[in-house]
Amino acid sequence: MKILKHLKSWEGFLAIILLVVVIVNSLLSESFLSIENQINLFVLSIEKVIIALIMAKIIINAEIDLSVASMMGLSACALGWFVESGMSMTMALIASITIGAVGGAFNGFWITVVKLPSLVVTLAMLIGFRGLARVLIGDRSIKMFPQWFEDLGQQPFFWNIPFSVMIFIVLLICVVITLEYTGFGRHIYTIGINQNVALYSGINVARVKMLLFIFSGIISAIAGILYAARLGTVRGDMGLGFELDIITIVLLGGVSIFGGSGSIYGVILSILIVLYLRNGMSLSNITGHLQTGVIGVLLILSVLIPNVLENMKKYLKFKT
Amino acid sequence: MNEPVLEVQNVSKRFDMTQALDDVSLKLFPGQIHALVGENGAGKSTLIKILTGVQQADQGGLLLSGNLTKIENAQKAQTYGIAAIYQEPMVFPDLDVAENIFISHKDRGFFVRWDQMYSEAKIILENLGVNIDVRATSSGLTLAAQQSVEIAKAISLNVKVLIMDEPTASLSNHEVNQLFRVARNLKEKNVAILFISHRLDEVFEIADTLTVLRDGQHISTNPLSKVTKESLIKEMVGREVNEFYSTRKGKKLGKSVLSVKKLSKELIFDGIEFELNQGEILGFAGLVGSRRTDVGLALFGINPVDSGTIEIDKKPVIIDSPQQAQKLGVAYLSEDRRQLGLAMPMAITTNITLPSLKKYLGKLGIINRSEEKKSASEFKNRLQIKTPSLLHEVGKLSGGNQQKVMLSKWLNTHPKIFILDEPTRGIDVGTKVEVHTIIKKLADEGMAIIFISSDLPEVIAMSDRILVMREGRQMGIVESNNFTQETIMSLAMGENIGDS
Amino acid sequence: MRNILKDLRPEKIRNWVLLLLIFIVLLGFASVIDNYLNARLFNRISTSVAIFAILAVGQTLVVLTRNIDLSVGSIVGISAYIVGQQLSQHNEMTPMTAVLLAIVIGALLGAFNGYFVAYLKIPAIIVTLGTLALFRTILVEYSDAQTVLAVELPQWIHDLPRMNVFSYERFHLRYVVAGMLIVVISFQLILRYTSFGRKLYAIGSNPEAAKLTGFANQKIIFIAFILCGALAGLAGFIFLVRIGQVTVVAGIGFELKSVAAVVVGGVNIFGGSGSVLGAFMGAVLIDLIENSLIRWLEISEFWRDALLGILILVSVATDTVIMKKLRTFWLKKQIQTKIDIQ
Repeated sequence: MKILKHLKSWEGFLAIILLVVVIVNSLLSESFLSIENQINLFVLSIEKVIIALIMAKIIINAEIDLSVASMMGLSACALGWFVESGMSMTMALIASITIGAVGGAFNGFWITVVKLPSLVVTLAMLIGFRGLARVLIGDRSIKMFPQWFEDLGQQPFFWNIPFSVMIFIVLLICVVITLEYTGFGRHIYTIGINQNVALYSGINVARVKMLLFIFSGIISAIAGILYAARLGTVRGDMGLGFELDIITIVLLGGVSIFGGSGSIYGVILSILIVLYLRNGMSLSNITGHLQTGVIGVLLILSVLIPNVLENMKKYLKFKT
Repeated sequence: MNEPVLEVQNVSKRFDMTQALDDVSLKLFPGQIHALVGENGAGKSTLIKILTGVQQADQGGLLLSGNLTKIENAQKAQTYGIAAIYQEPMVFPDLDVAENIFISHKDRGFFVRWDQMYSEAKIILENLGVNIDVRATSSGLTLAAQQSVEIAKAISLNVKVLIMDEPTASLSNHEVNQLFRVARNLKEKNVAILFISHRLDEVFEIADTLTVLRDGQHISTNPLSKVTKESLIKEMVGREVNEFYSTRKGKKLGKSVLSVKKLSKELIFDGIEFELNQGEILGFAGLVGSRRTDVGLALFGINPVDSGTIEIDKKPVIIDSPQQAQKLGVAYLSEDRRQLGLAMPMAITTNITLPSLKKYLGKLGIINRSEEKKSASEFKNRLQIKTPSLLHEVGKLSGGNQQKVMLSKWLNTHPKIFILDEPTRGIDVGTKVEVHTIIKKLADEGMAIIFISSDLPEVIAMSDRILVMREGRQMGIVESNNFTQETIMSLAMGENIGDS
Repeated sequence: MRNILKDLRPEKIRNWVLLLLIFIVLLGFASVIDNYLNARLFNRISTSVAIFAILAVGQTLVVLTRNIDLSVGSIVGISAYIVGQQLSQHNEMTPMTAVLLAIVIGALLGAFNGYFVAYLKIPAIIVTLGTLALFRTILVEYSDAQTVLAVELPQWIHDLPRMNVFSYERFHLRYVVAGMLIVVISFQLILRYTSFGRKLYAIGSNPEAAKLTGFANQKIIFIAFILCGALAGLAGFIFLVRIGQVTVVAGIGFELKSVAAVVVGGVNIFGGSGSVLGAFMGAVLIDLIENSLIRWLEISEFWRDALLGILILVSVATDTVIMKKLRTFWLKKQIQTKIDIQ
């Protein structure tokens, strides 16, 4: 559903950048385009990428959820704690996901009922959830997972594709359908454009927001579980700082921080760009920290460039 | 005869396709209240923007005390002693009153002397005859009080020309009187006042001179003695008003569809009571600030009532959310298109189907776009919406067409009870007539309609009965045999003649 | 009585409530921790409080204008590191120079933020989220992940936490505390009594009106970010003094605490209202709770973050709810008096 015409050109712009990055990376390494490498790239960042999908919906809704990475850590630690306390793996999984839902509902409560700004609420919970994670396992790390769990996280599941990537693909399809094709998606966009218009048009704004935050909690929890499976261990500081990358991916994908515009297709392109960029930088021996810096610059640019383009358009219009 | 303090000489201004002002001239004298009247789009706001430095004229000039002057920006206007207050006061809500008054002063030095500021502010407010606590936070003041603060600000800057743009639109009767007292006070201090208002009664009460603009052109300037309401209206509209409106007399009405008793919302409205029948148009008349919109919002579930009973089809209901209201068959057309009525960047089709989206959802909640397009197309034809394509952004349409899209949006929900809040505000005369015809047809087909409007002739022409409100209270319900502007106006202004 | 109530701005009430809370927390902890309330407590936490109080002051300036600075933690790290490194290489540097260096570094970084927010009009949350990463990266690259060790720093750095401006019996006024108080009091005065300070409030309260009044919104926001950065730089110096060494992870997470302090201290996250005094007390309250929890042996220290999160939520929620109640209360009063007059 294209709302703003200029969105088309942003995605075109992203496609060009993607092309450039792909070419550069292929030159840097012959195996770049191999299926193994592609899959591997995704797997390494699958948690961020999964959360980016729901974050896109939230930002389009003119809200933000800064607590996603902390919830990721919390659910992973909770998983470890449950297993350690003797719970069966299946129960522990269900319990962890429930924690995600409850945490999301908690956020949703303060935002929709008490009507506090989501920036403040999720900032507070970024601290709070992280704290709860540390309450559960302190400074230790837990490694007591059953083998099948670790295999699920680390070995290919179907054909060559690991389980986590399958989850990503399923989620991707869900998000694309809901956001671009369903009534719920349209409600999300409308609320993002103007919450009052949505309200006055009979949309149950509070319900949409609450649902979004609950989804965010659940998906963050799933991401946390996948992370635990991949690493085989959980620690209190897992996922520290992930929210930066996630928000960068979404904003770079053309989703406006003010809500109401952007599409999931742009986010997909931007996911690829960020993953490939990181890969390329690793191939060029650029360290992890520097990579983060580049991502930070990318974030600023992703907003700066549309701004500049808008101003140029206005200037040109004025002159004619 | 003294010198004009500000003179507008042959000013013209063009925006894209529209000639907003066309060779307009005007003189403002100190100590005189000069009223500016005209319909929407006549050019009043453009003129104000030029006088306050926000816009620049294409042709013509401004003379300040006889000297040709360029007012390049808002600060320059301030230095020349030109200030404006608007319907929506522009205060700093978190700062207190005294600070709001003095904040734009450039020469108060680097350090703020609070005691001095408070005492000086007190003096200014006393001189104005206004009783406001200088230490109060501005956000806690009523709209009228905030306006007084703005006026106090202008005075503190030694205003020579005070422009008042629709200042009474949101004021209660008592507050309007207070404002007029302040205006007369300023008159004595030799301030020139440019007073813009739609409310002709007020204009006749306060003005010394009247200028009429129409379609960007200067039509006339006359002292009060030489003007009558009829002559004014004729000049504003350019034709006899009467042929516009044909009244609805003797329409047969169906059974009761909505019945409300003792509706009340704390601090907002009280004691609202009426019956609405199928096929009836119940007009809601009153001055702006009478809280008619709030009653509409209550019936639509956005700001539900605190007490009272509502019956739809003789069954008692509680309306506590817009979703609930929609289920009960209530629709509400908002008076504010841009902020509340339409999602401006979205397509026409999307806007039209927004409240009734459920109808178009298939499996998994996926939207059936071809059905959507069909519906939108039907409305386009039925209401004659002029647009190259239904995928067009609604924000790019003209006011009249936007209004039609809003109407379509709600008609698509097949309401039993349709609340229309200022449905012809800000649209051109031609579309106005179209909209009136559509509404009357809806009533003829059995829809029950509540028609809220501040345009008295319009309410009289459109309604079967008229409910008059004043400051949140119901003053009476007037039957069609009693429809005169005087009857309704006197009710709206406070003389209670009881239910008819 | 009505006169007193009229003069009590919501801000002042809130500040008193904060003071009360601090006392309650002190008493609460004193009852469960042995030997809690003594001069040593004060001295032990004073450098920690100093860091966060100064960060809170800087953050207040930015938040008042409807912006936010999430990069202060990274600025603390960079400033602490560079000053520490310079000191280790030039042991003869005077304290004054070191402090000045820290402030200048912070100011430059703040200017970078301010430029993008004020002049390029990019939302502050995005700019500072980006510079939070960017600055940290610069620190890591510049330092090559090396630590500035305690032994390399001149002795006065290690002595500073205990050095006093003056002493009276068992009560000592530390340099660090004095510095903090000077910062807090000066900025409280600046915000209350200078036109620059009032403009910060005006811009946050109604940016359009501010522009129409002729305020140079951009310049003022730019300066606010510079000041915030400068104060973060100063906080970095105190960090160096408190910890006695610097690693590349210095300052991580500080931005959250500074925003928390500001919010708990009653500064409106949407700008326009709040005071430095409030933010200061917010910082004191938060730091007090954190540092005291460590000594409450029955409760795991890991609860502090969880509690902090709840504390922020509760204080913002109370503010919002109370503000709404107050507003309706005052509106009712005005309508009542109008009816009385009539």
